[in-house]
Amino acid sequence: MKQVFIIILLIIIGYFLANTFVEIPFGGNRIGNVESNETVAGYYLSNTAKKTGVANVITAIVVNYRGLDTLGEVTVLFLATTGLASILYRRKEEEEDTERLNLPSSRIMRSGVRVLFPAIVLLGIYVFIHGHLTPGGGFQGGTIVATGFLLMLISYKGFNTDHNRMVWIESLAGLSFVGIGIWGLLSGNTFLENTTNIGVVNSLISGGLIPIIYIVVGFKVAVELTGILDILLKIKPKK
Amino acid sequence: MVISPIHYIFVPLVAAFAIPLLSKLNKELPRIIPGIVLFYNIIISFVLMQEVNEVGYISEVIAGWRAPIGINLIITPFSGFLVSLISVLGFLIWLYGFRFKKVIDDGELRSYNILQMMMITGAIGIIITGDIFNLFVFLEIVAITAVSLTSFYRGRDGAEAGFKYLLIGGFASAMILLAILILYTQVGTLNMAEIAERMHTVPTGIKSTILILFIVGFGIEAELFPLNGWAPDAYSQAPGPTSTAFAGIVVKAGVYGLIRIIFTLFDIEGAYDFLIIAGLITMIIAEAAALKQTNLKRMLAYSSIGQMGLALIAFGIGTKEAVFAAMFLLLNHAIIKSLLFMTGSILMYNSKEKTISSLHGIAKRLPFISILFAIGAFAIVGLPPFSGFWSKLYILSAAADKEMIFLIVTILAVSVIEIIYYFRVVSKLYFAEGTTNVEVYKPKINAKISMLILGIAIFVIGFYPDLVTGYLHNAADILLDKASYIQYVLNTDSTIQ
Amino acid sequence: MQEQFNEIFIKYHEIITIGVYGTAIALMLIGLYAILMKKNLVKIVIGLTILDAGIHLLFVGIGYIQNGTAPIFSPGYENSADRMVDPVPQALVLTAIIIGFAVTAVALSLVIRLYKHHNTAKIDQIKHLKW
Repeated sequence: MKQVFIIILLIIIGYFLANTFVEIPFGGNRIGNVESNETVAGYYLSNTAKKTGVANVITAIVVNYRGLDTLGEVTVLFLATTGLASILYRRKEEEEDTERLNLPSSRIMRSGVRVLFPAIVLLGIYVFIHGHLTPGGGFQGGTIVATGFLLMLISYKGFNTDHNRMVWIESLAGLSFVGIGIWGLLSGNTFLENTTNIGVVNSLISGGLIPIIYIVVGFKVAVELTGILDILLKIKPKK
Repeated sequence: MVISPIHYIFVPLVAAFAIPLLSKLNKELPRIIPGIVLFYNIIISFVLMQEVNEVGYISEVIAGWRAPIGINLIITPFSGFLVSLISVLGFLIWLYGFRFKKVIDDGELRSYNILQMMMITGAIGIIITGDIFNLFVFLEIVAITAVSLTSFYRGRDGAEAGFKYLLIGGFASAMILLAILILYTQVGTLNMAEIAERMHTVPTGIKSTILILFIVGFGIEAELFPLNGWAPDAYSQAPGPTSTAFAGIVVKAGVYGLIRIIFTLFDIEGAYDFLIIAGLITMIIAEAAALKQTNLKRMLAYSSIGQMGLALIAFGIGTKEAVFAAMFLLLNHAIIKSLLFMTGSILMYNSKEKTISSLHGIAKRLPFISILFAIGAFAIVGLPPFSGFWSKLYILSAAADKEMIFLIVTILAVSVIEIIYYFRVVSKLYFAEGTTNVEVYKPKINAKISMLILGIAIFVIGFYPDLVTGYLHNAADILLDKASYIQYVLNTDSTIQ
Repeated sequence: MQEQFNEIFIKYHEIITIGVYGTAIALMLIGLYAILMKKNLVKIVIGLTILDAGIHLLFVGIGYIQNGTAPIFSPGYENSADRMVDPVPQALVLTAIIIGFAVTAVALSLVIRLYKHHNTAKIDQIKHLKW
């Protein structure tokens, strides 16, 4: 009975949404004329390269135009780690009774991971260093690095992350992000303003502070995702 | 570095990121730093309120991009009033919660303090941001911290309440995200002032779809019926200071979001009637539910929902007088309900079931706390010398101006229900025979100071309502003046790049 | 190649539209169904992520412009600003995905707590508070 009711409800919602999206043509041009700056997207496309020196418009939006969003996003991740740690908090005596969940991993897995791990981490670092030139950036690169750590965590029993070092990286990365923002205020401009020389578009050192912020974000995301995985995996009670 | 709205955001962030490191130096630092930060918030509010009184609006751009391009923070008299209220309450809640529970391990202590501080920051962010997607990000900060704090204690059913909250909250954020998406395809911008300016170009059908999605999303934070199922559980399972913050701070942010959407973004006439109807249903059902609660915190939670319903009714009437009354109600509710939650948590401190019956005759053993609870109870039902009387009176007179007789009758009838259940508790406190042998918890001096401040505030506003009415009238005028808001945000020439 | 694609796009425009929007809306409905109907807490969390995934797909979908390229000024594309796809939804979806991830992580930790406390992950057996 409940099922029928819910399916009818879902059909109504689906119809309602489909009706709305019929009026939004797929692939239609909603930006308008790029030069006229009617929409923000048009402004971004026509001005990013000359005003920020960043080739990847999405990076410029994420880090600079909407930098406060990214700061908030990093904070959400930080708070999720903090919240997770408080929800699954174990007192000292409980800590000794738990160990990491450990699925048996085969020799093939272990050997493969050993080869892949450095390559994955390197790829992740490459992605976040080149965030202003190619697709990708701090979040994507950080996630790639964290997948490398996930592989290590599930295939090696003895592999442990250094909790103390992670706290240091996490805090310092967060502080330097906010610090770059405050630097803008101290130098008489606005928060998070890109105050340095923007350089030549499409070279590695360009875009002023934008790549630096994205690298900091990359470190923070990598450490936080690894931390979350570590906490979630460490749940098995010792028999 | 002059004080500007961004200080509300980055100072707590610096503190939050630094606390894990600083706690290695000294175990007391994670406890003390949030207090300093929250006190600094009061200073910011004080400076900005003086400024906003002179110029009307304060706008600040982030990363040097003018309003529609970048994100801007904006303080109007209305949002400035709410932010100041939240800052002061946030500090008092910190003062009250300082050494509230015996949290033994520093790991727990650290997370608790970071989460509590960031929840307040998130609520402030919701109010001061001028960008719809940025508002969503701050809403998520509030949601994540609120869920983590709800399930903070392991002895209770915190995880269950937290999961419920998270599920409903996750659904709400999905709806808001969908609304932002559809809105973006129609107007091509995310700045609230520019959206408001272009709203008339959007076809009516799509406009109402967006509005419904927004109302569903923000209604959950604003505890609108039937989206408020999470609230009583979360209030009753969370630690005392946190449930105080829910009632005083988080709900205010949710109501603000709803009001901003309906008053500034949309120009649909029917939305006001919707507010009245939704508020009415919420109020009646919540107050009726409060009547049959046996758990004190659940009762207070339902009463809080009912009061928010009343505030939405007043906003929905839509005249200047009514909006002013609604703001006055928000102010009173923040002060009084915070006091009730603070005193209630102490009265219930050692009771296992947290039921009202465990309060029998506790007034003899905790006279100071009990008298404060009684003052709060009298004030919230709207008895004359207390501050709650004025806000209710103004709402009724605003309804009378528009000749909404049915509304007046309902509000009065609901007030009678309120009187019944609050007086039942107060009479249990004072006149019931002492049967419980639960050891009472004696509050520390810091908690007493913070409750005393709120108690005095009730009397001061009750005897001299003129202290705030002038300012609130001004704030109401500016909230209703949408054109000048748009004009100001989009044409601030000091920030052009 | 580009022209060929263009031709196909115009010819089958309706089918492609239904394919993109339909998939996204279907994902959202599947997610909602899982949230409302499933009894297992983990499945409910999966439902929430499917709902989010549908919305994220819609975000990317509405940003697409016919015959568009990625909004990156790589060498060779310096002057093609007028045929780049909308970069804003792509930037927003990045934020939305990270937030969705954070919510999922917290949800899973709550599931672990609930499982430890009640020794079950069935929602109808966890009823200390009224649902």
